[in-house]
Amino acid sequence: MSHPWLPGQAYSVIGAAHRRQGKPCQDASLCSQLQVGDALLQLLVVADGHGGHRYGLSDAGSAIACAQAEQAVRELSELHPLTDRGTWLELLRHTLPSRIHTGWLAAIEGDWQQRPEAEREPFTPLSYGCTLGLVLLAPQWWGCSGIGDWDLTAVAADGSAQLLSEELGASGSSEATGSLCQPWPEQAWAGRAQLQPLNNGSPRALVLSTDGVRKSCATDADYLNLCSALIELSGAELADGLEQITSEGSGDDVSVAIALAVGAAPPAQGRAGRPRRWLLGGVLGLALASAAGLAGWRWLQPPDPLAQLISELCQQPQRIRPTLLQRRSQFAALVKQPSMAVHLQAQASTDPLGALIAGANSRSGLSCRALQLGLQQQWQQARAAARPANAKMPATAPSSP
Amino acid sequence: MAFPNVRLSNRPLHFIYLCDCSGSMAAQGKMQALNQAIRQSLPGMAEVARQNPEARVLVRAVRFADQAAWHLAEPTPVQQLQWRDLEAGGITAMGEALNLVAEVLQSPPMEERALPPVLVLISDGQPTDDFDAGLARLMRLPWAQKAVRLAIAMGHDADLEVLQQFIGPEPSGAGKSPRRPLQASNATTLAQYIQWASTAVVGAASMPASRVTPAPAADRPNPSDSVGNIPLPDLPPTLLDPSVDVGPLVW
Repeated sequence: MSHPWLPGQAYSVIGAAHRRQGKPCQDASLCSQLQVGDALLQLLVVADGHGGHRYGLSDAGSAIACAQAEQAVRELSELHPLTDRGTWLELLRHTLPSRIHTGWLAAIEGDWQQRPEAEREPFTPLSYGCTLGLVLLAPQWWGCSGIGDWDLTAVAADGSAQLLSEELGASGSSEATGSLCQPWPEQAWAGRAQLQPLNNGSPRALVLSTDGVRKSCATDADYLNLCSALIELSGAELADGLEQITSEGSGDDVSVAIALAVGAAPPAQGRAGRPRRWLLGGVLGLALASAAGLAGWRWLQPPDPLAQLISELCQQPQRIRPTLLQRRSQFAALVKQPSMAVHLQAQASTDPLGALIAGANSRSGLSCRALQLGLQQQWQQARAAARPANAKMPATAPSSP
Repeated sequence: MAFPNVRLSNRPLHFIYLCDCSGSMAAQGKMQALNQAIRQSLPGMAEVARQNPEARVLVRAVRFADQAAWHLAEPTPVQQLQWRDLEAGGITAMGEALNLVAEVLQSPPMEERALPPVLVLISDGQPTDDFDAGLARLMRLPWAQKAVRLAIAMGHDADLEVLQQFIGPEPSGAGKSPRRPLQASNATTLAQYIQWASTAVVGAASMPASRVTPAPAADRPNPSDSVGNIPLPDLPPTLLDPSVDVGPLVW
């Protein structure tokens, strides 16, 4: 069976601040391919140890988390055919997290017992605290799950990027995160799980990253641009890029795991930082498009990212609510400052979701009933949250964005 | 190598002084001591900023007396800061000062990627305006909730209850804690606390380690524990330990 994904790549780089302070890299990442029958299942994982004094073994915790994720996926893939999407969505929501969590707890306790300090201190999972984000890439779908402040971004054929999953309630500034060391937080995992079938609208690439990457960017728009640039890098170039990100940015450890779709040109040396333009790709672009069939041909036509987003959401209405929920803070900000809408609409090519939210009403002609209702519901909630208790609406609140 | 169209950036760390400039601050050299303490702390603060290039330390100051006003309105890199002396006179519009700070802790103008800000409230008396309303407005903001909030009481007339409300829930147990108002009863102690806030606290806030999301208050054995976003460093040894009432009491 052909596989629609190129072999992925995963890198972790120690943060500039950690290196200066003589601390270890507390991030870990992994990319592996598992043979499932005659198909390949690819796994990408990133884990981020908390690093504070209470979490002194979190570098071991994150490495163990990656290993446990791989083992759990391997075991489940021997039991369930990849063609059974419904089962795999349930596995991503419940069974896989449970296995990883149980396995991680047992493994870190085993690790603790090997340490000299175990003779004088009691074991606590807190010492190993870390986040975990994973992506599965199957022949007919991709899915993700995890806990904590990792981010997953899709890069489309035209180079535009869209945030697909982030920790709810995280604004990029909070230092608090969900963690494997917490008592079984099933809801936290289930809220991050999703499974998407592959089709013509599927992303060209997926970028899974720890929070150090996003926190190194001035804004979310910069982060999305960075994801578009990162998929052009491989090997030493990618490692160098991560070094640059941490040294010029947050100083935190940084990890990325990247999946590229077949038909998307593999990264080439010396192309770092140059956006790949299929329309300018000449013979190479045409050859690859031909190989990729209709999907590749479609990529030659640069789509309107906003129209594409609307189309995708209307075709998969179950994605509407979770997608919009990712931007609750943006709804709230627009209620308080309606003038932001102009700026957001101007950035539709890099942030189509922001543009959709900012210009929701003006796009009603392209939209569908489910999306309109979803937007309406989020606006109502944002206005209700902005309304002082027992008081009238703020004078600046818009009736529409 | 560069990433085109990507602004990589260190994270701004906003440090805001809220300084009581009421008439009582003119007595016993308190105003002079505060100006001196802040001025003397700046080189140490700049050095901490230099050691933590991942944070961009930006200082502002609010003065409050009959009214509250920005004394240093622009977020100023600590390396460029030249402290202008505050002057005392008037009453204590502390609530209005909190309102002023609330205006700048909204997003925008707060940057998406800013580090939790550090707010240092310094007072020798009791608020004469609606402190509760100012505090309520401030604490509705996520940035204020995440902020490291410290309070320094100058002398024995300071309203410790009000300062504790600004900081947050009082920690369990007795003794000295940065989550209680720091009591400065002379110029030396004041200088030590200001120095601590502008160096040790700024250092801790510059590179915060991530931590586990705390359980809801109802699920914690002591709801006041572990609510701060940044683990605070130990307090400096001072001439006057608030838990042991000895030392050269001046104010």
